Amino acid sequence: MKRWLFLASLLILAGYFIAGGVWLRPFGEPARSEMDRYFIEHAQTEVAANNVVTAIVFDYRGYDTLGEATVLFAAVVGVALLLRRARG
Amino acid sequence: MTALHVLTLILVVVGAALAFWFRDLLAAVIALAGSSLLLSLEFYLLQAPDVAIAEAGIGAALTVAIYILAIRKTHYKEEE
Amino acid sequence: MSVIVRTVSRVVAPVALAFGAYVIMHGHLTPGGGFQGGAVVASVVALLVVAFGCERWRKWTHVLLPLEDVGAMAFVILAFLGVGATFFRNVLAGSGGLFGAPVPQLGPNPGALNTAGTLPLMNWAVGFKVIAGLGAVVLLLALFGREDG
Repeated sequence: MKRWLFLASLLILAGYFIAGGVWLRPFGEPARSEMDRYFIEHAQTEVAANNVVTAIVFDYRGYDTLGEATVLFAAVVGVALLLRRARG
Repeated sequence: MTALHVLTLILVVVGAALAFWFRDLLAAVIALAGSSLLLSLEFYLLQAPDVAIAEAGIGAALTVAIYILAIRKTHYKEEE
Repeated sequence: MSVIVRTVSRVVAPVALAFGAYVIMHGHLTPGGGFQGGAVVASVVALLVVAFGCERWRKWTHVLLPLEDVGAMAFVILAFLGVGATFFRNVLAGSGGLFGAPVPQLGPNPGALNTAGTLPLMNWAVGFKVIAGLGAVVLLLALFGREDG
């Protein structure tokens, strides 16, 4: 019973992977590209940055970077609380 | 180009399988580092150099250092 | 570690340090940024800890942990600079002052370091934060469980 369940889930997962590989879009041709076209055309004038990825990360999508910084801060605080020697 | 992609991805999977296969944990960690470095090469081939630098720094250097420090403080062999 | 590892570390560490500083400094011109360059520099910290032992770096935890907070605070303050318009508004871009030089409208250009407004400052803030945070994590993990000290 357990083995059949394992095999069935393995087959379903493999089917999903193969279907995803077969129906993959061609490289460099996204399905909807209004947003990235806006970023590529306006990043140099609005943010004055040549690197559009950095312009997105720190300007257009700054909240995401703030969340990432918060995650790193929480990880460092957790490690410091767990592993640092208590003084006194 | 496609052949290079396929070769890199096959080597990534081989490295991950070796990391699963080895009983010696130090060898498993080094296989994981090789797999991670090849993954960073694959990111570079897919024209994402940002992610490639991050993957090479985090996956191939820092994670391996943390695993090695953890192994040094516990056991070198996988328990049955 | 052995003498081979220590010699190779002495050669590799300055090069990797320079590469990490380059990636942080040119984050608004070339691929990379604060997080990527910080990860490269933190891997240098891990290399030094593994190669030379962790005892001699013990005092650095008292520097690295506050430096992480300083980086986070600098990032949030730089984000609050533009709160007159919106949070994360790039107030320095194109203003003519610090990092305020304009770039051409859409197209390739050689790239000047003095552009992109608050982006280089945020790159440095996040870079220091990632260097200090990941370095402190590796150092604390290496120092954990030592008897003396």
